[in-house]
Amino acid sequence: MVAASQHPNITLMTYSEVEEVGGYVGNFRVKIRQKAKSVNHDLCTGCGICWEKCPNTILNEYNQGLNLRKAIYIRFPQAVPNKPVIDRENCRQFQMDGKCGVCKEVCQAGAIDYEQQDLILEEEFGSIVVATGFDLFAWEKAYGEYGYGKYPDVISGLQFERMSNSSGPTEGKILRPSDGKEPQRVVFIKCVGSRDDAKGKSYCSKVCCMYTAKHAHQVLEKIEGSEVYVFYIDVRTPGKGYEEFYRHSLEEGALYIRGRVSNIIPKNSSLIVRGEDTLLGRQVEVEADLVVLATAMTPSYGSDAVARMIGIGTDKDGFFEEAHPKLRPVECHTAGVYLAGTCQGVKDIPDTVSQASGSAVKVCALFSVDERELDPLTSSVNESICSGCSTCVLVCPFKAIEIKTVTERFYGQTLQRQVAAVNEALCQGCGTCTAACRSGAINLKGFTNEQILAEVKAACL
Amino acid sequence: MSLEKTTAPKPAPAQPGNWEPKIIAFCCHWCAYTAADLAGLSRIQYPAAVRIIRVPCSGRANPQFILKAFQKGADGILVAG
Amino acid sequence: MKRVGVFICHCGSNISAVVDVNSVAEAAKKIPNVAYVTHYKYMCSDPGQEEIVKAVNEHNLNRVVVASCSPRLHEPTFQKTLQRAGLNPYLLEIANIREQCSWVHSKFKDLATAKAIALIRMMVAKAAENVPLLRPSVYIRKKALVIGGGIAGMQAALDIADAGYPVVLVERDNTIGGKMAMLDKTFPTLDCSA
Repeated sequence: MVAASQHPNITLMTYSEVEEVGGYVGNFRVKIRQKAKSVNHDLCTGCGICWEKCPNTILNEYNQGLNLRKAIYIRFPQAVPNKPVIDRENCRQFQMDGKCGVCKEVCQAGAIDYEQQDLILEEEFGSIVVATGFDLFAWEKAYGEYGYGKYPDVISGLQFERMSNSSGPTEGKILRPSDGKEPQRVVFIKCVGSRDDAKGKSYCSKVCCMYTAKHAHQVLEKIEGSEVYVFYIDVRTPGKGYEEFYRHSLEEGALYIRGRVSNIIPKNSSLIVRGEDTLLGRQVEVEADLVVLATAMTPSYGSDAVARMIGIGTDKDGFFEEAHPKLRPVECHTAGVYLAGTCQGVKDIPDTVSQASGSAVKVCALFSVDERELDPLTSSVNESICSGCSTCVLVCPFKAIEIKTVTERFYGQTLQRQVAAVNEALCQGCGTCTAACRSGAINLKGFTNEQILAEVKAACL
Repeated sequence: MSLEKTTAPKPAPAQPGNWEPKIIAFCCHWCAYTAADLAGLSRIQYPAAVRIIRVPCSGRANPQFILKAFQKGADGILVAG
Repeated sequence: MKRVGVFICHCGSNISAVVDVNSVAEAAKKIPNVAYVTHYKYMCSDPGQEEIVKAVNEHNLNRVVVASCSPRLHEPTFQKTLQRAGLNPYLLEIANIREQCSWVHSKFKDLATAKAIALIRMMVAKAAENVPLLRPSVYIRKKALVIGGGIAGMQAALDIADAGYPVVLVERDNTIGGKMAMLDKTFPTLDCSA
């Protein structure tokens, strides 16, 4: 993180979102909205007095709601940049007509700026790497048998991570959210939202087997005399050193039970976890102090908007589609756009880093030349018969066709007429426009109507 | 057209048991055509009467091509992509 | 005047063990617009490509059909061969007689041979309609945008930046680090994730 922020060639724009992407390979025009931070980061020293004194507290999303944060805040002590922003929706200054101003009063550097506005920056880029990541499956909406999120001691794997992280809400202690006591018996449930057609997604989320093994190890290591039960469908550990790691958690005493959990019932201060042991063919019941759900990875919220903006296809689950599952795994069908990490599909960290480096190499290869030759297999318009109906504009998946006005001379008069125009750099040569064109005015070079018809005729001989 | 002139006279309809339909498949270069290649790679056997025409996208399959194929005697058309 | 050259590849024995290349070559000679036919053990090898270059020049060919493996494999290879022979690379067509013929009809040699001829006939018909195409070129602005400041975005940005190109890393949250920075230790080595 620090390396990325200090690199002389990297301009870091946090609290910013891409709003609009136009153009084509080598020449993308991008609009970026720099959201108002309400803090002048050039003046701010990151001393922290503002968030210490801020009177407003809200649930801390970063810690998965396990503790509170202030309205002026940094995400965690090692955040980059290590300077706060004001969450205007939860700030008294903004919500109560300026009746607070505490942070401005205490700031020695005079960095607080309530007047700051969103900035829109427009810049041109040669290439785009999309690395929008993942979010966790919203199990609270789907799993009634696990309490729809009503039981405080049923938590997600990410909440567990925040707890066991030494800069997290409990400074690394594994505690029950309900009463802050150390749990003795912890149950892990795998495949929550994954491999479950009825409630979640059909795919395997890939990383959960390994992080559950890690969590099991962490419970057994941190809490003396603790018991760990893991409900699983299969244990999948394909990776270097992964099977050994899983074995290690078994040797430490994690008890794996093959089967799904049918429901969780609160009893006094603990939870009764009921399920089936399909290997023994009998019902099991575990009284647990804490239940951790291994929830599936899903595409990050808002990634569908990014896909539409740039023109990236998505698969049935909303992950970004690569140009070829094996041979072009980091490229998109849109030239000059590359994918990195979990936005393209579930991945663990080593795979993510490999793909990110792969996409970086693709970018560097593109940048190694001053001009790039494009595939000539693009659509072209016969303007003399184009009626300008713009059907092709509507069907083009790459936004490569525009309507332009041409001036013609007709029996001594000057006429203006609308016709379709193809941007060769944007056109990916799919030919959908040619099939949609009613007047047959648009043709695809390399796969012309004449060429394919000749092939059809020869094939029917 | 010269192409059609060179056509050998159509063989008389074969025995009902031997008849094979002539199927023209329009396959998207990126998926269905690749899948057909994969079938080859995996040595999956299928009837030889299929003729695959590579198109850059199944969206390229103009209805005109399909009508032309039927007109020229194709028994079935597959658009895959 | 369209003069198509047909070059049939044996692919070692991948094609020739099933498809009778001699009778395919004989049949190909009778296809309209075909001016020259030959077959060779490995068309994609250096001597195979030389054969194409030589034939194009000696027989004044202006279209080329290579009957070999899938165009997904060697279309770029043979396009370069055409360029060396002084032809526009888009005057090439490939008849896929390996993945979509010899490999999938290996038990029926006669049918496979007949299909190979048919596939060549189709590609010759298409090639006769081919026209030279020019590759347009665009200017490449050497600056990258990375959307997302998690581990994937940071790694990509660092690699591109290390290569000497400017990068803008955009992150919607007010810190970079993404999900990975939220994690404690990471499997299987249990090292820290910040």
